Amino acid sequence: MGNHAAVTRRLSAFLVVLALLVVALGYRLVDFQVVRAEEIQEKSLERRSQTYVLRALRGDIQDANGEILARTVFRYDVNASPKTVGPVYRTVDGVRTEYSVAEIAMDLAPLVGLSVEELLSRLEGDSEYSSLAKRVDAATYDAIKSLGVPWVYFDTLSDRLYPNGAVAGNLIGFVSSDGTPLAGLERQYNTCLAGIDGQETFERSAEGVRIPTSNITTQPTQNGGTLNLTIDSNLQFFAQQVLADTVSELNAEWASAIVVEVETGKILAAAEAPSVDPNDAGASEAENRGSKILQFAFEPGSIMKAISTSMVLDTGTATMYDTVSAPDHLYLDYGEYIKDSFGHDEFNLSLAGVLRYSSNTGIYQFGVQIDKETRYNYLQRFGFGSTSSLNFEGESSGILRPVEDWTYSDNYTHLFGQGIAVTSLQMAYAYQAIANGGVRLDPVMVESCTSPEGELIYVPEQGATRVLSEESADTNLLLMEKVVEFGGVGKTAAVDGYRVAGKTGTAEIREGEGYGDNYAISFYGVAPVDDPQFVVGVTIYKPEGVTNSAKATPPFKAIMSQALKHYRVPPSTTTSPDYIPSNRDGEPGA
Amino acid sequence: MRVMMLNAQDARKLRPSMWAAVILVAGIIAVWLVQLGLNMVLTQDAYHLRELKIERKTLTTEVQIIQEEVDSLASPQNLADAANRLGMVANPDSVLLDIESDRIFGTPEPVSAEDTAVASGNLVANAALGATSEFSAGALYASGFENGVTTSDDSATEVILQQGRIPASPTR
Repeated sequence: MGNHAAVTRRLSAFLVVLALLVVALGYRLVDFQVVRAEEIQEKSLERRSQTYVLRALRGDIQDANGEILARTVFRYDVNASPKTVGPVYRTVDGVRTEYSVAEIAMDLAPLVGLSVEELLSRLEGDSEYSSLAKRVDAATYDAIKSLGVPWVYFDTLSDRLYPNGAVAGNLIGFVSSDGTPLAGLERQYNTCLAGIDGQETFERSAEGVRIPTSNITTQPTQNGGTLNLTIDSNLQFFAQQVLADTVSELNAEWASAIVVEVETGKILAAAEAPSVDPNDAGASEAENRGSKILQFAFEPGSIMKAISTSMVLDTGTATMYDTVSAPDHLYLDYGEYIKDSFGHDEFNLSLAGVLRYSSNTGIYQFGVQIDKETRYNYLQRFGFGSTSSLNFEGESSGILRPVEDWTYSDNYTHLFGQGIAVTSLQMAYAYQAIANGGVRLDPVMVESCTSPEGELIYVPEQGATRVLSEESADTNLLLMEKVVEFGGVGKTAAVDGYRVAGKTGTAEIREGEGYGDNYAISFYGVAPVDDPQFVVGVTIYKPEGVTNSAKATPPFKAIMSQALKHYRVPPSTTTSPDYIPSNRDGEPGA
Repeated sequence: MRVMMLNAQDARKLRPSMWAAVILVAGIIAVWLVQLGLNMVLTQDAYHLRELKIERKTLTTEVQIIQEEVDSLASPQNLADAANRLGMVANPDSVLLDIESDRIFGTPEPVSAEDTAVASGNLVANAALGATSEFSAGALYASGFENGVTTSDDSATEVILQQGRIPASPTR
């Protein structure tokens, strides 16, 4: 009995202890599984999971025909781990062969652009990192990878490739090596082009091995959109070729050419030489990395006269039949004088005659009849003195002083393009207004931004400004046609089969207080006159030994001919009216 | 709880059944085997997934290599150089045919390198230019084209146009 009681006591004690243990474990179980379950799970996941960024790809830039001007590609940094460098074993047809480090280096050296000696020196030591090459292309990466060297590893980077090089490089701009947009449309439209990086997490086992199917995308990647330009890369390349040739021939500082579609206001080409190749922006001088067409203002000279004649017509100050007596120089009230670019007897010039002979004294006499406030308003409506709706970074507004600040000389020099500074863009769109029945359209260089799925994200709004009456604009175009029909230099701008209107310009460049020996020569024109399609404006800055605009017409003619041919524009079926007075006697004809 | 003393016979009756133990162990082994199978399938899928990812990466690299080659060959710089090497020059004298009015616009004129206003070779920089067009005999042979063009002498055949009009097609 005594034994039985002892067994019962021990058993009871054991059961009590067991019960206490069960209660304690139960409490912990409830605490872990219910009370602190969420917190523990979070901590556990935090330890197991690893988060990494999924880089969004920057969008493409395309020309008007969908040709890629900028795309994102992958580049690879090639690294080695010297600590693990050793012979490589390859099995070919069942035969295992050993390749020494020196043999591997012979194959690897040309691929990473190093000499064998240099490569071997980088493979020495016991570090885990040695850089062998930076940003190699996919073909090189593939070739290195196929060597099957276990101690060579890669870092993948995204990079920007501009397949057409410097074609439209001044407009497109470029990005830094870390992908930061630095200039041009790349920078201006970064919101469209840059995507949104994503995030993904995965879980690791206690040994650090990635657990399959544990990937969770916490933030989906959104790749960048496509920027669609109005630029036609074929025409742009052609224009850049012409300008590069011209700059080389004339030893000029630079040259620019802009092609505008009259009816839509789209910029089809905005070419410059020298230009910048965005693939290697550092190779260009800093001043050539931007867009002079948009950012550089210059005194335009006589190309402004076509604007002045349009004001004369539109205000009713004179008709195309009215004439003035124009000497080769003319003394003004306060002792100064203005003169024409060549000596001549007194001409009897109509408005067309003024343009044909590019007479400063003639345009002065027509122009000063319009009060300066009215002229100032016209100049503003033509777009001078303000930046355009393009909002291109660093775009120049030119210089058009407020009318109340006009000096005595501003009052008349503006008529022939002095005392006022304009950009090539502004001048091209002033001509576009004349060619477009008096309505100046806002310039368009970006057609749209589309998402990777093809949805429209952004389409620029285009404004229009009525500058002249349709009749004045059309008449002015006919007057400008006489420059190409009869003008000494203007004739060289003629394009066979097409009626062309335009104006020459040989602007002296200000140096210090006065004007030096350098010129900005230009030709801005429109074709075909009977159905205006394109405005082409060419400016050549500081050509050596050139004192007139005769060297500006060949590039104009080449680019205008190419535009007409490229867009299959039918030749003119009419001829210039023979009743418009334009000769030195104020009569029609030669 | 009550503790009872039993005789040997009763104790044998109360002994757990061997079959139950066998079923329990078999069940545990079955569950373990199923889990092993599932793990094997998952691991196999993981290997397959890895292989597919490697294949995708290889194909992406291949696409990029080909794309960059096409970009380079299609770039205007390469085309200008290739045309130049073939002896081609830009001809500004274009001729247009107006189908609606049966008219020819412009006069076809041969052009020489001296006459053209445009430089024939490329003058526009392109650091991305990699692959370029090749016109060596070997490359032409490899492309399947014959080296050279066979021409027929049809200079004796004179086409007479009526006042710049396109001759009517005999088929209509």
